[in-house]
Amino acid sequence: MRFEKKRAGTKTEIPTASMPDIVFMLLLFFMVTTTLREVDVLVDYKLPEAKAIEKIENKRLVSYIWVGKDKRMQVNDSLVKLEEIQSIMYAKRQELPNIIVSLRIDKGSDMGLVTDIQQELRKAFCLRVNYSATIKI
Amino acid sequence: MIKKRKIPPAEIPTASMADIAFLLLLFFLVATVIDVDTGIGLTLPEYVEEIEEVQVSKERMAAILINENGDVLVDGAPTSVFKIKDNLKPRILSKIELPNNKKLIVSVKTDRRTNYNIYIQALDQVKEAYFEVRDEYANAQHGNRFNDLRIEQQDEIKEKVPIIISIAEPEAVQK
Repeated sequence: MRFEKKRAGTKTEIPTASMPDIVFMLLLFFMVTTTLREVDVLVDYKLPEAKAIEKIENKRLVSYIWVGKDKRMQVNDSLVKLEEIQSIMYAKRQELPNIIVSLRIDKGSDMGLVTDIQQELRKAFCLRVNYSATIKI
Repeated sequence: MIKKRKIPPAEIPTASMADIAFLLLLFFLVATVIDVDTGIGLTLPEYVEEIEEVQVSKERMAAILINENGDVLVDGAPTSVFKIKDNLKPRILSKIELPNNKKLIVSVKTDRRTNYNIYIQALDQVKEAYFEVRDEYANAQHGNRFNDLRIEQQDEIKEKVPIIISIAEPEAVQK
């Protein structure tokens, strides 16, 4: 006596045609959620608004100095003191001779502090600055 | 014997899958904003130990002074921050045809306690005045806005209307 297993008539394959699409979707998801080289900004600042603003064409040349509401300053990933700016920026300038320093200064700051930073930058020969501002509509 | 009817294999149509993925890709491509750095550019003067005084004739200078309360003086006359542009524009315009050593110098000087925002507003006004003059001059010469001109034409106008902004040397603070 022969027994025969009962089988379903339809095929039981998982359709794989959409697999690349799923992979693309995943790729997309990660592309969208990734932020490029994010620096942790440790200070709280609000940029001033201006109308006659320019874009910085070459992002590679830009290096940032943040100044927060509480007058703390940040360069790269760490908080710095005013006296340290000169040596840090001088080292940066030696790597990139035509460095642009983008000053992201809180709009409530005093000019005294800004002038002090500018003097440090001048001593470090970082002469191209950009006062970061958002566009006023 | 009864012949069993063949059941066709069940399939999800996958041909349009790629289109859906492309649509999504397109949407995110269009909707993404890579944040660009914008701001007011300026070149600081080199640091010198001893400041040498250079005499500049009075009509070449536009001295903007801002005090700690945000009051503005342009060449000694009190004015408002938002009027700096209108004040400077005719003066820049009148000096277009003059040689380079006679063009207007805008000097911005602030107190140590002046608010940074007001300083930026003043600088913005100065820049705007220059940009408007450049645009007007470009329109008169080439019939187009400054940004739409060719590089050589832009350079020519930059030569005619150079932006000279002097940030005054800070004075020693009395403590």
